[in-house]
Amino acid sequence: MALDFVQPDWILLVPELVLLGTAILVLAGDVFLPRRNHYLLSWLVMAGFSVSLVSNLLIDWGAGKTTFSGMFRADYFSLFINIIVLSAGIMSIMISTAYVQGNDEPGAMPLPEYLVLLVLSILGTMLVGAAGDLLMIFIGIEMGSLAVYVLTGFARDRSTSIEGALKYFLLGAFATAILIYGMAWIYGATGSTNLAEIATRLKPMMTGDSKIEPSLLLALLLLAVGLSFKIAAVPFHMWTPDAYQGAPTPVSGYMSVVPKVAGFAAMARILVEALGPLSETWLTLIAILAVITMIYGNVVAVAQRDVKRMLGYSSIGHTGYMLVALAAYNSTSAGDRSVGSLLFYLFAYGFMNIGAFGVVTWLQHRGHGVDLDDFAGLGSRSPLAAFAMTIFMLSLMGMPPLVGFYAKYYVILAAIQNNLTWLAVVLVVMSAVSAFFYLRVVAVMYFNEPIRQWQAQSTPLLGVGLGLMALGTVGFGLFSGSVLDLAQKWVQAFT
Amino acid sequence: MDGIPILSFITYAPAVGAVIIFFWPGATPRAARWIALVSSLVSLALSIAMLLSFDTSLPSMQVSGKPQFSEIHSWLPAVGVSYRLGVDGISAVLIVLTTLLSVISIVASWDPIQKRVREYMIAMLLLETGMLGVFVSLDLFLFYIFWELMLIPMALLIGIWGSANRVYAAVKFFLYTLAGSLLMLVGIVATYQAYFNETGIHTLNVLELAKGHYSHEFQMWVFAAFFISFAIKVPMWPFHTWLPDAHVEAPTAGSVILAGVLLKMGGYGLLRFNLPLFPEAARSWQPYIVVLSVIAILYGAIVALVQPDLKKLIAYSSVSHMGFVTLGIFAFNAQGLEGAMIVMISHGLVTGALFLIVGMIYNRGHTRLISRFGGLATNMPIYASFFGFFMFASIGFPGLSGFAGEFLAILGALQVYRWAGVIALIIVILSAWYMMWMFQRVAWERAPGEPPDANDPVLRTPIPDLPEERLKPVMGGSGDEHFIDPRTFPDINWKEILMLTPLAILTLWIGVYPATFLDFVKPALQAILMPFGGSGF
Repeated sequence: MALDFVQPDWILLVPELVLLGTAILVLAGDVFLPRRNHYLLSWLVMAGFSVSLVSNLLIDWGAGKTTFSGMFRADYFSLFINIIVLSAGIMSIMISTAYVQGNDEPGAMPLPEYLVLLVLSILGTMLVGAAGDLLMIFIGIEMGSLAVYVLTGFARDRSTSIEGALKYFLLGAFATAILIYGMAWIYGATGSTNLAEIATRLKPMMTGDSKIEPSLLLALLLLAVGLSFKIAAVPFHMWTPDAYQGAPTPVSGYMSVVPKVAGFAAMARILVEALGPLSETWLTLIAILAVITMIYGNVVAVAQRDVKRMLGYSSIGHTGYMLVALAAYNSTSAGDRSVGSLLFYLFAYGFMNIGAFGVVTWLQHRGHGVDLDDFAGLGSRSPLAAFAMTIFMLSLMGMPPLVGFYAKYYVILAAIQNNLTWLAVVLVVMSAVSAFFYLRVVAVMYFNEPIRQWQAQSTPLLGVGLGLMALGTVGFGLFSGSVLDLAQKWVQAFT
Repeated sequence: MDGIPILSFITYAPAVGAVIIFFWPGATPRAARWIALVSSLVSLALSIAMLLSFDTSLPSMQVSGKPQFSEIHSWLPAVGVSYRLGVDGISAVLIVLTTLLSVISIVASWDPIQKRVREYMIAMLLLETGMLGVFVSLDLFLFYIFWELMLIPMALLIGIWGSANRVYAAVKFFLYTLAGSLLMLVGIVATYQAYFNETGIHTLNVLELAKGHYSHEFQMWVFAAFFISFAIKVPMWPFHTWLPDAHVEAPTAGSVILAGVLLKMGGYGLLRFNLPLFPEAARSWQPYIVVLSVIAILYGAIVALVQPDLKKLIAYSSVSHMGFVTLGIFAFNAQGLEGAMIVMISHGLVTGALFLIVGMIYNRGHTRLISRFGGLATNMPIYASFFGFFMFASIGFPGLSGFAGEFLAILGALQVYRWAGVIALIIVILSAWYMMWMFQRVAWERAPGEPPDANDPVLRTPIPDLPEERLKPVMGGSGDEHFIDPRTFPDINWKEILMLTPLAILTLWIGVYPATFLDFVKPALQAILMPFGGSGF
């Protein structure tokens, strides 16, 4: 029997290949460039991200083509994931270059390694978005996570950084094991690892009023638990605050967004696309997770004085909001907005949260945590930074006309559309709670007199980056229509 | 004026001023003040032009579906959001009130605000844009955006330029209003979805949504979601607790805007959204809301009686006056609604003026404690005349605006709930009590430190000062320690007279001939009353 080698459709992989090439170039640059010129590599990576972003135009996403025997898919969903993570990548580089290069952290690794890890983790997340197979999802998630574990422990001589990384790694590895175990059970129950194939095989099993098989239920639970770790849903969030607080600040910003995107992309791919026929079962589960995640994240954030930790808990709260979007999935509704609003939320979240961490980076001094007191009087001392922070805080709070408001609005819309009004009410009540701690930052900046002396380390790149993110937070709010339309095309992808 | 987007011009003229101040690094405080004044004057001029060309003979937009000065642009068609502006008589009148009070507020901040003037003026102008946007939006989404947009500049005004306890007041104001409006957001989306389920049309156009048929249970819930948000703004008892704090801590101009315009948004929201969209629920909720209104009227008046702080006294009197607004609205008859409208306008003018008047002596004496003043009529005769005029207007003296409004509102209430009307009527006496007493103490009585006048039998007995510990909580850092003798205050200058004069003229005008204003609002009120069966115009 002759082996039938399929010629892969390389064009579909151009965005990923560009990133791979960038990573290799950076590694080479590490060796060949003199140390003082390493900052050029940041520009190289940003260029790589940009080229990769533009190269998305080469692909006909509407066709929903697959390659590598269905392992890899190019549809509107993967396109949107690419856009989110690549723009998040560019923003992360902007806020981190000065920080990393200034050797601000004791025992910090050199810049090129930092950059390579960042590129690889973004590549992994893009693979999750483009996955057509459970194994692909697994590979993508692992590729993304491993790089972020290392980035978390990036400040090798600082114990909090190591502690955060270790917690993140151990729990993450544990979650991964659970995840792959769940995948194995799915394979056992359906005989396939291909997402579309799984859905086709599940459909006949779920006809009529037949009860869900115990093996499928187990698989579902294992997958949900594994992925909940990745997105930091309560009660699987234990690593989050420590990891956020311990990691170098730009990394905290990065890992509040990209690994979350990977987790949610995997959730959408697995739950909606593959296990869509079981939606009756998992929707309840997701709704419960959403409620406890929203409540826990926002309520605990109120008590935080360390701003990084506060943002860590608030990111748990945002996970909850995104879960609401997922819980609003309705397989029978034609204009279902659930995944569309989830994608839009992730997109919006990237700008405002990386932006917020960017301002914290800007204020950061020598690896210490950033306390609320450090923000005191910022409004009069550095009006622009304070203004940017205000925009990010208000957007995270969900104030119109900023992008965070639109994101929340679309989630509420999706929830109410599918008769989850109670979930929408929980969401807005928790938004009101969150206003308390976001507002506190704003209040401290403008209403209080400066308490501590510090030397803000502002570089042009960081300044421009913050400006761009603030602009995006405002602009993508006012002109959210086209972004939303693109996100809403997930419907075409998942059929 | 067809084709000219005059409403957008009115709304964004202040915002343009704010942008200029923000991006012009060389803007001195003086330049910032002038830019703010000019841009708000442009807005005022345009809004007066709009009002003059407003056609009162046309049927209201609720009937014809065609708002005047309408502007429609597609915005987010996928979720039924459009940029839709338009006015009826109610909003047209309130827009002019807003632009007028904004100009006056900017003039009122001219000298007192010396700290971070640029930021102050930016906040002022953005606040004005937000307020105007609320009145011109006919799309619920757009309305919500402007509604929330007002919050931040107002909170900043209180929190940065306020007095001692400002941060607490600002945060309380912000959280209170935000909590209310977030529930309204759910209500908005629920209404949108219910209308879509019924008709298959994606829209957030208020006029369109009012044509939907919503189930009674749905109406009850969504009405409540909207109502709480507006009741907090009004503010209605028991949602009023943010108001005294915000008023007391805000700078003078902030108080003027707060009392003059922001409180009106609650009444406006009820008229624009609650009644037209959910008439059945409105009828079911009516008795409860009437009870709350009566409590507010009574409670505000009683609490105002015992206030030692001038601003707090006026703040609580606002709670009482705004109770007449909700009482009038929920009478569901012509007199009630007309009364509510006039009380809203009148309260905006009169209370705005009273806050200015308090601000004027605060600037001179750095205290707001009634016990620190006295005998101002002697050395500030012009001031005392204005004060007396607005004091009478606030009480509801016939011939001034307060009377016309409260009389009609009570008349409306008497037809529906006799007891409510009777109680409200009695409480008007209370309002005369606290206002006149306050005026007596500030303008006529012996100033603190002044020896008793041997020839005056009334003032011969010395008036004991309040014990210190009773003064403490309200004194804060309000500068009471640097006591300035009120007998040394100079009378008000031309700038201050200029601020008060237009308000006085309008107060008198409404009191003598309210028909000028009622002609504008009548068609709109008539349309609002249609689902309630009564017209009576």
